[in-house]
Amino acid sequence: MAVGDVVRFFGTNPVYRRRVTCHQVLDPELARYGRLDEPLPEVLGAYLTQNGIRLYSHQCEAINALRSGKNVIITTPTASGKTLAFNIPVFAGLVADPDARALYMYPTKALSNDQYATIRTMETFTGIPAKPAIYDGDTPQSKRAAIREHARIVISNPHEIHQVLSWHAKWSPFFSHLKYVVIDEAHRYRGVFGSQIALLIRRLLRVARSYGSDPQFVLSTATLANPEEFAGRLVGRPFMLVDTDGSPHGIRHFVLYNPFFDGIGERSPHQETKDLLLSCVKGDLQTLCFTSSRKMAELVTIWTREDARRTSARLAQGISAYRAGYLPEERRTIERQLKSGEIRGVVSTNALELGIDLGSLDAVIIDGYPGTMMSTRQQAGRAGRKGGESLAVLVAQANPLDQYFMHHPDAFFSRSHEHAIIDTENPYIVSGHLLCAAAELPLREEADAGFFGESFTPLLVELAASSLIKKTPRGWVYAGRGRAADAVRLDGMAAGSFRIMCHGRLLETMDRAQAYREAHEGAIMLHQGETYVVNEMDLETHTVRVSETDVDYYTQPLKEVDLRVIETLETRTINGKKCAFGDVEVTEQYTAYKIKRGDTILGVEPLSLPSLTFRTKAFWLVLPDSSATAVSTAGLDLAGGLHGAEHALIALMPLHVMCDRWDIGGLSIPSYGENGEPTIFVYDGYEGGIGLAEKAFTLLPALFSSTHELVRDCPCQKGCPSCIYSPKCGNDNVPLDKEATVKILCDLCTDPGMHETRKCPAKPEPVAL
Amino acid sequence: MRVRFTFTPHGRSLTVRSPDVLVQMAAMQAESRIGALWQQRMDALREYDVVRDGNVFGAGLAGSCVFSSEYDKARALLDQLLARYDGVAFDTLFSGREITNDSGSCIALESCHDLPATAVDTERLFQEMISDLTLVHGVGEVSERRLKARGYRTITDLAEHPKLRFAARQVLERLTRADPADVMDLIGTRHAKSHPFALGAAGSFESNDYVFLDIETLGLFSRPIILFGVGTIEQGHLMVRQYLLRDICEEAAALTATVEQFSGRRPALVTFNGKAFDLPYVKDRLAYYGIGALSRIPHFDVLHFSRRRWKGQFTSCRLSALESAVLGVARADDVPGQMVPEFYETYLRTQNCGPLVPIVDHNRQDVVSLALLFFYLLGETCGCR
Repeated sequence: MAVGDVVRFFGTNPVYRRRVTCHQVLDPELARYGRLDEPLPEVLGAYLTQNGIRLYSHQCEAINALRSGKNVIITTPTASGKTLAFNIPVFAGLVADPDARALYMYPTKALSNDQYATIRTMETFTGIPAKPAIYDGDTPQSKRAAIREHARIVISNPHEIHQVLSWHAKWSPFFSHLKYVVIDEAHRYRGVFGSQIALLIRRLLRVARSYGSDPQFVLSTATLANPEEFAGRLVGRPFMLVDTDGSPHGIRHFVLYNPFFDGIGERSPHQETKDLLLSCVKGDLQTLCFTSSRKMAELVTIWTREDARRTSARLAQGISAYRAGYLPEERRTIERQLKSGEIRGVVSTNALELGIDLGSLDAVIIDGYPGTMMSTRQQAGRAGRKGGESLAVLVAQANPLDQYFMHHPDAFFSRSHEHAIIDTENPYIVSGHLLCAAAELPLREEADAGFFGESFTPLLVELAASSLIKKTPRGWVYAGRGRAADAVRLDGMAAGSFRIMCHGRLLETMDRAQAYREAHEGAIMLHQGETYVVNEMDLETHTVRVSETDVDYYTQPLKEVDLRVIETLETRTINGKKCAFGDVEVTEQYTAYKIKRGDTILGVEPLSLPSLTFRTKAFWLVLPDSSATAVSTAGLDLAGGLHGAEHALIALMPLHVMCDRWDIGGLSIPSYGENGEPTIFVYDGYEGGIGLAEKAFTLLPALFSSTHELVRDCPCQKGCPSCIYSPKCGNDNVPLDKEATVKILCDLCTDPGMHETRKCPAKPEPVAL
Repeated sequence: MRVRFTFTPHGRSLTVRSPDVLVQMAAMQAESRIGALWQQRMDALREYDVVRDGNVFGAGLAGSCVFSSEYDKARALLDQLLARYDGVAFDTLFSGREITNDSGSCIALESCHDLPATAVDTERLFQEMISDLTLVHGVGEVSERRLKARGYRTITDLAEHPKLRFAARQVLERLTRADPADVMDLIGTRHAKSHPFALGAAGSFESNDYVFLDIETLGLFSRPIILFGVGTIEQGHLMVRQYLLRDICEEAAALTATVEQFSGRRPALVTFNGKAFDLPYVKDRLAYYGIGALSRIPHFDVLHFSRRRWKGQFTSCRLSALESAVLGVARADDVPGQMVPEFYETYLRTQNCGPLVPIVDHNRQDVVSLALLFFYLLGETCGCR
């Protein structure tokens, strides 16, 4: 059977047919080739010819731009040949300047290894001495000096670069001739991590400048709504965008599949995923299935095998799991068997969407929306062999985003909504990098202000007041204890101060907020797929002792949130509702935790933890009296409506601003402030804020209308996990009133000046299939 | 445009203050939290471990550790010093000279020390070296034995060897020219860099060519150097100049002053573990301030020669162990090297000069012991018999 046959089967089989909410078909595209402005060095031309490569239009566009000195961001899809688009100009640059060096930054070890192999092959073929080397925590001490001295392409990761910068003297040949910085998979550097990386790049540029070099940047990312803005913020330079894909593809089917089509969902969506996988494999499609957790990957594999065994033992053997914990040899075996066709179905966690060397397959099944449209596209992009027909299926879960897409497929298939956020002004992030920078080279107010933004000077004064830096005739020098780079961690807001210990072994570190939330006494916590119970939390020594456990219940903390507005920075009026953005101080207090099995509450235990106070950025909206009165007079619960609206707004934030709902917090109060106004707050869950609420504030009308559609179109009666229930609610989803929520959201989307009858847009007719 | 209005906090009332005051207060609080936050985090970084006395296993594993008795003694010393020197002015305690250069100013403390005379017998060393046929490229230990059996006793003899004569003449020429840096290179390519001949190469320097260097720092790399001890030989005496930072902002001046001491005029650097620590550290700080690079000069790291000479004879080859075992020097009120940062930071914080006293003494003694040990080894290698 071919892809078309399986798709037809989905459309005719009575079980599948009802669940397929949308089936999109994309016409095939022929390859579009481009032309280079300048001929390549002969050896590179020969390399392309002998490998039978003709450059696509987007590759030529990127090569031309890079060779003319521009910074470039490439956002074409998976497998469109992005790597070649930057390797060619870098190699050409190495030929043109025999001293030139390049830095390649990769987020993972596996990707670094892949790129190393690619560059080695190119080097061998062309004879251009790139002398590539991986320089990271695993590089043996004995090899380091030679790499610093001789390697012209250094492949590394952000954590290593963070450490390396203070050793710039040893890297002087490298920094003196640094011509290119390649940042692959750059979309990984967003949110808190991205903001840290943005400042790391400022530090890199500052060190390079002191050695007289000013490198060009190439970024490669998945599809984003704001590629130029993102690249500009990450690097602090203007970028040229290359986004028009010239590579060919065949007919593409995308199916949205909703196990909850009836609002109930008889079976678990994972079971349905298993059925789909089996149907695809039986239809002779080589299929890759992405699940949200490692455990689920194993389960889906086992279930599919069991069912397949009824057909044939051979079919059952052709199903395999593929996950991060596997040894390299095991992975290689799976990859080989896939290529030889022995394996027909692979189930993987979506954490492996990158750095997975499986090539392309016929079909991809995505078990649950992976959180971003970007990931969805990357995963779906795995389907489609050279110009062949392909199929991608998204299996919806019972949560608001998944269900929103099922009810609004047009929103799903339209262009990317997600804005990747980078905040280079968070004082908590900037100050840490200022300390590192001061330890690398003395900071000079006039010369360095351009790298560190508006808060540069006030932060210098602040850090000096704490004796962490000192003013000298040669600039501000680092004067704190220890190494600054050791105190500043890139993967969080703060170095985790709580240590999670299991039998004397350090599992991980957490910051205070996370520890209170996930590692309080009695909590059941997950670490790399294993379950642990917290036996003791020592607030004095910041130590949490846990032990392995195997229980069938989970815990959920309950908290009280208090919020104070410190300063209103901006206000706007949307449909007659006052909305504002500004600085707030949030106090969270965990008061108790629930022990639950499924939805059943087994018990509630009190917690006595100190309260947590942090300053962050928030947007808030104030409901006018008239709207509040309308809700109350209709006999509805205002508090329940506000609470529901808060949950739904937070649930749909990730649709517009690239983040996780856990990155954001919210608070709704029927009577806030002096005037007792009904108010909903949505705030960044990080000290100082990281730009999420700020971006959302500019997108409020779109956020309001998508949220309204979500709740209005959910087929449930009184609210459900698909609309207004929140998995992280500190009040255990009480009170909630769905009808009031719809009314409030509708009101938010309606201009009071408009005619009564046109006020609330009704639910659209179901999409014809 | 940014509009400003304030809500009163939920549930509480803050009525009287004007919005601007509130905003200012908030800004101040937010800022002071940042400094405190980082300070807290820095304090959590530990630069050494304190291990139980006799815990050789722990001491061996941890890169940097202090035995608990040593630690307790040093903490007690710190308290005593703070009490003793409370209110004593810097100038009263340290009679130094203020020096000024392009990079600013700092204090130079000078002291003069006796040195036993070491007469170097270069002829004897030369004879020993030319008897070592393995210095010639292509001659290993086996061939040396064979060649000697056939009558080639020295490299001079080998200069007539039908096959080896070119290589031998080259070596002979280099040994005769006796350029210390070149002789060191030659020895280094044929033998271990700590071979006594390499030390012997120093014999052809004049005694006032040497500069002895030892630094005290605020930690292990990328932190300031707070004291530079520089020893030179002047009229047969060891003159120790210590460039001390009264504040971190004087580091660039002290660096410049130190580097002036061993650029050109005095071409031979002598350190203890300086190849791994002092010299790269100084280079790193020079690069940090952008003060120009050091030219390459012959560098004698006494640690390496000592290891070769005394390996296995003493419990450790640390300078403090060697000075007591070989030179019979005993220190009182010493500060363990790893605790120097703590002492200096206490000085910075309290502005009480007491904690500087043992640092300065410690560093001065390090330079003196380094010089004595160097001449001791030099005498053994190429002194007069």
